[in-house]
Amino acid sequence: MLDTEALHETPEGIALRLRAAGAAPRALAWLLDAGIRLALFSFASIPISLLGESGQGLLLILLFVLLWVYPIAFELFMDGQTPGKRVLGLRVVHDNGTPVGFTASLVRNLMRTVDALPVGYAFGFLSCVIDPHARRLGDLVAGTLVVHAERLKHDLAIPSVPGFVPALTLPAEEQAVVVAYAERSAKLTEARQIELATLLPQLTQARGANAVQRLLGFANHIVGR
Amino acid sequence: MRQDQFSSRHEGEWQALGAWLDQARKPRQPPAPGACADSEVPRRYRRVCQQLALARRRGYSPMLIERLGQLVERTHTILYRPPNPRWWRAVAFIASDFPAEVRAHWGWMLASALLFFVPLLAMLVAVQLQPDLAHSVFGIEELANIEQMYDPSRPDRIGRDSGTDLMMFGHYILNNISIGFRSFASGLLVGIGSIIVLVGNGVMIGSVAGHLTGIGYGGPFWRFVVGHSAPELLAIVISGGAGMRLGFALIAPGQFGRVASLLAAGRVGARLILGVFVMLLGAAFIEAFWSSVASFPDWLKFGSGALIWTVVLAWLALGGRGRVHAT
Repeated sequence: MLDTEALHETPEGIALRLRAAGAAPRALAWLLDAGIRLALFSFASIPISLLGESGQGLLLILLFVLLWVYPIAFELFMDGQTPGKRVLGLRVVHDNGTPVGFTASLVRNLMRTVDALPVGYAFGFLSCVIDPHARRLGDLVAGTLVVHAERLKHDLAIPSVPGFVPALTLPAEEQAVVVAYAERSAKLTEARQIELATLLPQLTQARGANAVQRLLGFANHIVGR
Repeated sequence: MRQDQFSSRHEGEWQALGAWLDQARKPRQPPAPGACADSEVPRRYRRVCQQLALARRRGYSPMLIERLGQLVERTHTILYRPPNPRWWRAVAFIASDFPAEVRAHWGWMLASALLFFVPLLAMLVAVQLQPDLAHSVFGIEELANIEQMYDPSRPDRIGRDSGTDLMMFGHYILNNISIGFRSFASGLLVGIGSIIVLVGNGVMIGSVAGHLTGIGYGGPFWRFVVGHSAPELLAIVISGGAGMRLGFALIAPGQFGRVASLLAAGRVGARLILGVFVMLLGAAFIEAFWSSVASFPDWLKFGSGALIWTVVLAWLALGGRGRVHAT
């Protein structure tokens, strides 16, 4: 229930994992966008105000564009990212993981009207908190999700050490845990590596740095080196 | 098969697909060294999908699964992305798809028109018979403001206190189009929002018209509104109808699930609201630059108004008839 990951099964039978973003980063992104729009409006109003009353008309048109067109245009042409979402690493996608299209973007942004009711995006916030994938009402109607866009790095490798075959046989899931430990070991401090490895005395039959070496060796053995 | 054998056997494919993906969004550049050909990608994608499924099943390490998962996700995103909007389609959409869409939901449009025009006409008549009614809709200052805008003794411009054409154009764009958008969106509140907007606007417009006609300012008022009334009023009716359909999709989803039903109504609503946007844009243009000119003679004002009504109604009634229905 606490996990916001949305699974979408592709036609190829693979479950895509979409990491839905919660209310807090989305609210921040909205605030950033609001600030950017305010700044744009203020800057534009300086030269335009020299044009007198006709200039006011241009300003009102600019306000319309900033209110309604700004989010749709950015979501469409910047791969689902308004500037605020870009800073926060968020992205709007269809609920099948593809980049948001024109119709969906139009609907979700028109529906802001309802999400903003009765005051300060209260409906949107409630919907965001209740929905398992943190969708606001506009997202529900448009069939979109806001996901974390940045991808995890996967440049960690298992350190190469001589293989080690323990006396115990482990089931596959537990073997996977040992391999995950070995992959992450480069990111752990030495003390933490030792602390974790020492938790498995029956497996390694060793303590301290020796246990770490044996556990890494076991991981090497599992992946087949 | 052990993980290392598996990785080393397929490493080349993964790097080729990865190189293609890095280049995929920059079509103008030459293909990256080592990237596979475009035509190869679907086959490669299916292979990586199968490899990912195998890796998960065999319990390979999380890093490997994550790496393959990202390859799959990035390729999926590109292969299944929606087509880019084609701008020349916009003209065809406005000319034929939109009127057809409006007719396809004629029941909602009729309901919406009744909710809008019945209060409008009722107030128009009622205020003639009972002039005090106008005061229960508007405050004294508001009424004075409205009266001043349509005062027959003001020669130059009708329908505004002050301001140039361009300023009023901006004002109409911001206000009228926002109202059109909101009367659709507020339909999500089980349709009530749209109904309130429709009836509320009907009552207000009817009262203004009734009041001004009653006190003898009818001339400038009708001369002002006759030009842009067709696109503006009908746009409000259409967006209200789309909003009510959206609300009804929530109340009675029929054979769909509630979310699926909302999605369908949202897609229809988006198409209708695009047309509404164009109609209101046209209305704002007419209202700012044509309707407000006081010097045109009556025959020109009312003649052009009748012409615009005819054109708009004919467009909505006939546009897109006989086209091949594409869904």
